[in-house]
Amino acid sequence: MKETNAVFKSRGISFLYLSPSILILLTFIFYPAWKAIILSLYRSNLFLGTRKFIGAENIQNLFWGPLAPGFRQVMVQTIIFSTLVVGIGISVSLFLSVQANKDIKGARIYRMLLIWPFALSPAIAATIALFMFNPEVGLVNAVLHMNIRWLDSPVLAFLLTVCIAVWKNLGYNIVFYLAALQSIPRSPLEAADIDGASPVKKFWLVTFPLLGPTTFFLLFTNITYSFFDTFGIIDMLTRGGPVGPGPFFDKEGLTTTLMYKVYLDGFGGSSNMGFAAAEGLVLMAFVVLVTFLQFRFLGKRIHYEG
Amino acid sequence: MKKTLTVLCALLLTTVALFANGTAEQKSSLQVVKPIEITFWHSLGDAARSGWIQQRVDDFNASQKKYHVTQEAKGSYRDTLQAAVLADKQGNAPSLVHVFEVGSQLAFDTNIFMPVGNIGSFDTSDYIKPVLNYYTINGTVNSIPFNSSSPVLYINVDKLVAAGYSADYVPETFEDMIKVVETAREKKVADANISFALHGWYFEQWMAEQGAVLLNNDNGRAGRATEVNLTSAAAVAIGNFLSTLGKKNLYSYTGRFEDWDGSDAIFTGNKAIFHITSTADLGNISRAVEKSFTLGVGKLPIPTGAKRNGTVIGGGSIWVTKNHTEQELKGARDFALFLTNTDNMVSWHKLTGYYPVRNSSVDKLTEEGWFLSDAKQLVAFNQLLTTIPNSATAGALGGTLLDNRTIMEQAMQKILQGGDVQMVLSEAKAIADAKLKEYNANF
Repeated sequence: MKETNAVFKSRGISFLYLSPSILILLTFIFYPAWKAIILSLYRSNLFLGTRKFIGAENIQNLFWGPLAPGFRQVMVQTIIFSTLVVGIGISVSLFLSVQANKDIKGARIYRMLLIWPFALSPAIAATIALFMFNPEVGLVNAVLHMNIRWLDSPVLAFLLTVCIAVWKNLGYNIVFYLAALQSIPRSPLEAADIDGASPVKKFWLVTFPLLGPTTFFLLFTNITYSFFDTFGIIDMLTRGGPVGPGPFFDKEGLTTTLMYKVYLDGFGGSSNMGFAAAEGLVLMAFVVLVTFLQFRFLGKRIHYEG
Repeated sequence: MKKTLTVLCALLLTTVALFANGTAEQKSSLQVVKPIEITFWHSLGDAARSGWIQQRVDDFNASQKKYHVTQEAKGSYRDTLQAAVLADKQGNAPSLVHVFEVGSQLAFDTNIFMPVGNIGSFDTSDYIKPVLNYYTINGTVNSIPFNSSSPVLYINVDKLVAAGYSADYVPETFEDMIKVVETAREKKVADANISFALHGWYFEQWMAEQGAVLLNNDNGRAGRATEVNLTSAAAVAIGNFLSTLGKKNLYSYTGRFEDWDGSDAIFTGNKAIFHITSTADLGNISRAVEKSFTLGVGKLPIPTGAKRNGTVIGGGSIWVTKNHTEQELKGARDFALFLTNTDNMVSWHKLTGYYPVRNSSVDKLTEEGWFLSDAKQLVAFNQLLTTIPNSATAGALGGTLLDNRTIMEQAMQKILQGGDVQMVLSEAKAIADAKLKEYNANF
């Protein structure tokens, strides 16, 4: 199938224009990724500077042997963590955006306040949370006059981390949803009004499908966020702990995501870089798979304007 | 477009000119006879301690012309060691690096350091024995002890008295401690808790107190360790104590691992009767509680029925990197010795609460009457000076001691949450052994 492009006569020109992005991708994504794949085949220690080829032993250690249960736990809880962060994050921000988009007094101020957390770095968001939820000297327990174990009761700590991660990314989602809501054409909504559709029906049958491209885009960026960018929050808030309930979740800290475990194994402890690279490989495969599935099954259903 | 280009060119020219100036200046200063440069990287970035180090550096530079020392805080202990390893690869490692005690084997294995004991001959007999023991590897003094501390018991005396005990009562064992807390709770003393940071350091200390080695092969000192003794009777005794704390709800912490500040805040906030932390915090905690309650200090409580062996030294020591000329090595050694000389260790101790690592410094402090004015410090000293030198109290040497701390902390938390002691510890041992095996396979 040979397509002729109306704008660019030759392929050379299009590659020329693409070259800056390709160069950046090659330098910062593909080359490091390639290096990580190679590194995962070696026994390599950051401090010792050793490098010994051991084939698939690192990968094997992820799935069999004494270190495997911890890795399995982290994989499962990463999926739960991401599902919650993305699911709650997108629904809450959609709800808030629709509310903030209404013609009410002071709407501009609400919008600004809602977007605010976006300006915080994850580390600062987590530090604020730490001041508030410290079980002994935190603000929340002081106000409630209770002693809720926010950070050492595993399930609570996990949910708290999810909530802070959602809150931190709320602003980002709302910016996109608000922009999308304001560019929704009035005609289909008016047509729905004339047909006598209820507000709920109007939302689900007109607004929501028209927000499709935005939701699709946010789904992707939020998944990436929950996998990678929540690192700062976890590092400041819980350092990956506390250990979860047995018999399955008691091998590692309940808030240790795959990303955080890569860091712990590669740069913490005795810095087993090869093992960490193997974990990174699994993380990479994970993201590739999710992205593929998304484009394969969801991408087709999205209706793009124009 | 042309305009932008001109501006760019102008900018470029100025930058080049600036750099040219810089090199010219450097050249002129080169003509003066240059002292040998010695760089010292450390991990004590706070104003008080890095200021103290800078002062000693200035003193040393003023005292002689042969060497010129500069100091730099490089972040955490880990960051400092990593930076030193990288710098050595690029051929410009600092002469002196500050390494923490659990990183000793790791630093040793990086192969960028040399034992300071191999640089000429010098007298180390003045250094306090249990401290020097930790930093002696294969019979040679490997590094110069610098900031050393060990854990002691901090007591909220007001709560102790309210519970019906005399003000100078000090619990000797875990059981004593638990009994006090239970009595206090019966008498409705508010917040009668035990608070200490959830830290593997205490596990290591309690092993040493019982005279038990944490690693096989004599704590990794007779040969490379291959096994972590997390299921030994001594380890189980510690586990049982934690289990009781958890079951009876006697322990209070922030929920985070290694949260020194958080657990200190619980104690200084009048929310605990007993607290365990480093002797290096004596100064800070004394000041913090001055207005709220009377502070008492005692030796680290140990498992009931165990013979007290003493504590392992914690903190850091100063290592010499090997890829330098003979003269640089000597200069580096001399500065490390100057930094830890009698007078400097006296002022270091007064500033921070770290042990002065020389016997002569202790004598001097005694003469000055320091211990009379601050009797709490004496408790800490006695704990150190009565430590029985053996391979348990010399401390463990292993490449994965850092991993071990996390593994022990997870196990401690599981036990506190009601996990079965034997089962939790044997799971922890399996992981710790696997990590050690993985590390040892690098050689």
